[in-house]
Amino acid sequence: MTGEIHTSKIEELRVVHQPLARHDQAEKIAGTTRYAGDLAFAGMLHARLVRSQVPSARLTRRDVTAAVAVPGVISVLLGEDVPNNEIRVDVPGQTIAVGALQASMQVLATDRVRFHGEPIALVIAETEDALAIACELVEVEYEDMPVVSDPEAALADDAPSVHEGGNLLAEWHIDRGDVDEAFAGAAVVVEETYRTQFVDHAYLEPEAGVGWLDDDGVLNLRVATQVVEHYRDVAKILGVPDAKVRVIAPYVGGGFGGKEDMTVEPYLAIAVHRTRKPVRMLWTRNESLLARAKRHRNVMRYRTAADAEGTLLAHDIEIVSDAGAYAYLSALVLLYSTVHACGPYRVPNVRIRAKTAYTNNPPTSAFRGFGGMQMVLGYESQIDEVSRRLGIDPGEIRKRNALARGDRLPVGQEIITEVQLAQTIDAVRERAGDKPVPSGPRKAVGRAIASNMQSYGRLVWLNDSSAAWIGFEMDGSLTVRCGVPDIGGGQASSLGQIASEILAVDMDRISVHFGDSALTPLAGTTTATRQLLMSGNATYEAAVLLRDQVLGAVAADTGQPIDSLRIEPSEIVGPDGATPLLTALQACRRRNVPIEALGTFFGPKGTEVTRDLDGDRIFPDFTFGTHLADVEVDLDTGEVRILRYIAAHDVGRAINPMSVEGQISGAVVQGLGQALLEDVVVQEGVNLTPGLFQYMIPTATDVPDIETVILESGEGLGPFGARGIGEPPIGPPIAVIPAAIADAVGARPTTLPITPERVLDAVARGSRASA
Amino acid sequence: MTATDVTVTLTVNGAPTTRTTGGHVSLLRWLRDLADVTDPKYGCGEGVCGACTVLVDGEPASACIVLAAQVDGAAITTAAGLCEPDGSLGPLQRRFHEHHAAQCGFCTPGMLLCAHAMLRDATEPLSRADIREQLHGNLCRCTGYTDIVDAIEDAQAQGIAR
Amino acid sequence: MFVKPFRYERAASFGDAAAMLRQGAGSAKVLAGGQSLLPMMNLGVLDLEALIDVTHIAGASEIAQRDGYLSIGALRTHAELERDPIVAAGQPLVAAAARWVGSSRIRVRGTLGGSLAHSDPAAELPLAMVVAGATYDLTDGTTTRTVAATDFHESYFTTSLAENELLERVQVPVLGPGWGWGFAEVSRRRGDFALCAAAALVRVADGRVVESRLGLAGVAERPKRLGAVEIAVEGADATTLADRIGPIEGIDPVSDVSATAEHRRHLARVLAVRALTDAVTRGVAA
Repeated sequence: MTGEIHTSKIEELRVVHQPLARHDQAEKIAGTTRYAGDLAFAGMLHARLVRSQVPSARLTRRDVTAAVAVPGVISVLLGEDVPNNEIRVDVPGQTIAVGALQASMQVLATDRVRFHGEPIALVIAETEDALAIACELVEVEYEDMPVVSDPEAALADDAPSVHEGGNLLAEWHIDRGDVDEAFAGAAVVVEETYRTQFVDHAYLEPEAGVGWLDDDGVLNLRVATQVVEHYRDVAKILGVPDAKVRVIAPYVGGGFGGKEDMTVEPYLAIAVHRTRKPVRMLWTRNESLLARAKRHRNVMRYRTAADAEGTLLAHDIEIVSDAGAYAYLSALVLLYSTVHACGPYRVPNVRIRAKTAYTNNPPTSAFRGFGGMQMVLGYESQIDEVSRRLGIDPGEIRKRNALARGDRLPVGQEIITEVQLAQTIDAVRERAGDKPVPSGPRKAVGRAIASNMQSYGRLVWLNDSSAAWIGFEMDGSLTVRCGVPDIGGGQASSLGQIASEILAVDMDRISVHFGDSALTPLAGTTTATRQLLMSGNATYEAAVLLRDQVLGAVAADTGQPIDSLRIEPSEIVGPDGATPLLTALQACRRRNVPIEALGTFFGPKGTEVTRDLDGDRIFPDFTFGTHLADVEVDLDTGEVRILRYIAAHDVGRAINPMSVEGQISGAVVQGLGQALLEDVVVQEGVNLTPGLFQYMIPTATDVPDIETVILESGEGLGPFGARGIGEPPIGPPIAVIPAAIADAVGARPTTLPITPERVLDAVARGSRASA
Repeated sequence: MTATDVTVTLTVNGAPTTRTTGGHVSLLRWLRDLADVTDPKYGCGEGVCGACTVLVDGEPASACIVLAAQVDGAAITTAAGLCEPDGSLGPLQRRFHEHHAAQCGFCTPGMLLCAHAMLRDATEPLSRADIREQLHGNLCRCTGYTDIVDAIEDAQAQGIAR
Repeated sequence: MFVKPFRYERAASFGDAAAMLRQGAGSAKVLAGGQSLLPMMNLGVLDLEALIDVTHIAGASEIAQRDGYLSIGALRTHAELERDPIVAAGQPLVAAAARWVGSSRIRVRGTLGGSLAHSDPAAELPLAMVVAGATYDLTDGTTTRTVAATDFHESYFTTSLAENELLERVQVPVLGPGWGWGFAEVSRRRGDFALCAAAALVRVADGRVVESRLGLAGVAERPKRLGAVEIAVEGADATTLADRIGPIEGIDPVSDVSATAEHRRHLARVLAVRALTDAVTRGVAA
């Protein structure tokens, strides 16, 4: 552990708050965990997609004759073979003349493709070799259509339409206060445009799964997913009752939002439905990079006004995001961008115009930080520039403007928990000590901080809920059932830890069954930093219910008041002495008291938003933090070496400090990849990053040790006062790195990734400015 | 069996295993699909990510860009081969567990073998920078690497290579 | 995962391999470690009927120094070049270049001959060979001919190898007394292909350059010697070298997802200076 913990309030805890080695890790380290692609059935078939080789075209011919003739090929399916060849999604808050806007895409394209990599045919064969031969023999003729490659150009009146009805998919507005007046009276006005890139999740496990039919006709899909509830979407595509599809999520080899939308599910389902045999589908890395939705690239124009003391007066912000070829979650991601655009600061006058536009680029959708994180580059660069212009310390200006409990965000939501932003600023600075000196001539060192806020939990009008079931076994061990997918963040393990805390059962006597839409209570998606909040609270509720049932039975048996009893390992302790747990469980049986309990947790509620955002609560709550980076710039080559990196967040309560540190460290490095290296390069709709040679994620040599400081205000809405921490730490890296470079060379990069060339550009601008 | 099939015998984690298949089949596919040894993972197919790392006669190799036929007769060690004979975690694996060096776990088998080889071959004590340098061919997307470096450093301090 | 089936053939000798290549008539390729070839097969960018594994050919892996030359068998791996004391003593530039190749897994399986015959213009070993003045022995199983490294590497992934010829051995002139070497490279990440790499050999007397050999990789269709710079730096010392080197002429870098042509052109000069400076410093120390 390279971190420290600052706790401000803490109750007596036995298991929660301990840095426990996670139970799931032992199997992973032994190599015995069966991921989605590791399961095989004797005689199973294999399936693979034929994908569009062009970004925008009419399909004039699709001929499967030669492919079907390949020995071992069972079937080649086209869109016409899919029972319901359409996936429809609501686009929230957006209305058209006839009502709410819905977007649609085909499972397999029949007459029109809109991005490079779009699925056109599904080949099913006895062997992977046959697939390799047959996929090349599916003949597709394309009649090229105009390629819309830039989201801003896409919004021009004369731009070709990607879909009927124009390229504007969704827009959001915020108007608060009097922006023009605020600018007129400002001591300083800062104006800049920031650009972020397409980013790939690049989890190590490409999309994969196996499907099969049960004896009772239920179609089972065991797939790498963050959302078992997609069984409903699959059922719609197949035209069967929801109850006839089951999705199982085994341990997932990384998600980060990329396994939130369906990937292999519809295709596996169609193949199984059609052949009635077990089928496996593995996507290659190339397919994963080509065809799965990316992080939105954003163009963010900021105009910021402040008074002479550095108090922020106004933001005037324009956001344009690239929705790619299909809607997916772009409208919601843009909503997050809009709500997070002013960061963790009080800004009384705000105008935001945000649009997301269809293009013929890869679709874009959920990715850790979900639209909120791109904005950190904007609001942190702006506040830095205000502080530079006014000669105010960057930490001081942030503290001066920091949100506090009772403040309202520009969207109208009130902050209802304590904000420890200032403490995170002090924490990283105290830990950092003196700024390092350059290692040689033609090297420059820079230091900067960046703060952020990021919501945890889903949008309140989505009526989120999660359920967890806990039961004692008759030997006193414990079974937890909860439908969470575990994507590597310890989602299942932390539920065991919560149950262990309340029911006083050792972790090694608890089994957590998770991620099965048929056999575990539905817990909702492992997305939006919501599982600890939602399923953690559901598990907490179930555990408390179960505990009280057992204590009630003992109270009735022994005549002791129930509130004088407490559960300890293997016994119930009261004023008259201890009752063994097994005796207590027998008492429950005798008295018709269940030795299991179902807990359901309902998230905070709110009203659905419309385009003009002016309401109240929109998210359950937020997590705040500050990062500090020291960098050294090679003034000749533009190479950037990160010398030191410290991240501090108020996590409310660290259920498992090791997991929290792991989440922070991992998110930071993913953010550093976006800051310096990663870019899904798309030229005229053609993806030029087909593999991990070209799509560069950070290696161990590209990043330093990530030092963490965990603050525990105890103020979160999760169990034991925890806040969500899965997404928040990915935002600050993309702002703190350009800021540290600016400190080193005198000018700020504003476009990501900050390639060596962009660094050299900043070096040149910096030396011109100082000359 | 066709005319182009080849019979390959490998000693996998101590168990002699013989399978006949096409000569184009990679070591990774041979292990996973023919021998049901699934701890080496497919991550990229280009030898970049390191998720398929195995030891071939003791040397780390990307199993996705080695043909099984190329290494006929070799001894193959996978991460499972670092376990104790009873299947419990071996000493290096225990350091990984204690230091939270796995999250999603998909890169972990490859990481372990890379760590094993570097500790085994080190002629002088490895600094954290040295450890990072030798890890650069094994990508991880979850941990940020810090915990992995911690685990390897701890293993080194305790004189553990396996 | 999804690779179209091809034949695997194992050659017992270079003659054997040459015969197989002749038989394959363009649809067969030599597998000399496969660390570049097999990724291409996996990506489906090459369509071949057979791969001919030459790595089991006996007696083709000597490393020896005789008559002022290092003789290195084509099947020596990068890892062996990196560690071999004879290479380190005879031509340290070769050992240094080998250290920059890919990851340790690639260096353990990838071979010298494989890298040279692949002739990636950004690769380190062809650059080192061109700068060191190496020659290659090519064989078709019956006759052997010798070509200079500068003539062998013709263009992007193109060499002067005939269809049924194989690279058998490399002869590298030993670094003479008074010579120093330098190798500098920039890539986006450790182990990635070079955006640009520079290799230099310099003979120094009284701290000044008497004679030099300088080359760059990654900025032209093949590793490129920079004769004009070699002449320009004559008489310079470590502190005045940079002043003698203007924008690099005679290179033709391309833009790709890793860097633009302009950036590569910029790096060409930066790295040329660095490699020459290191070479002078080492030459003075020698």
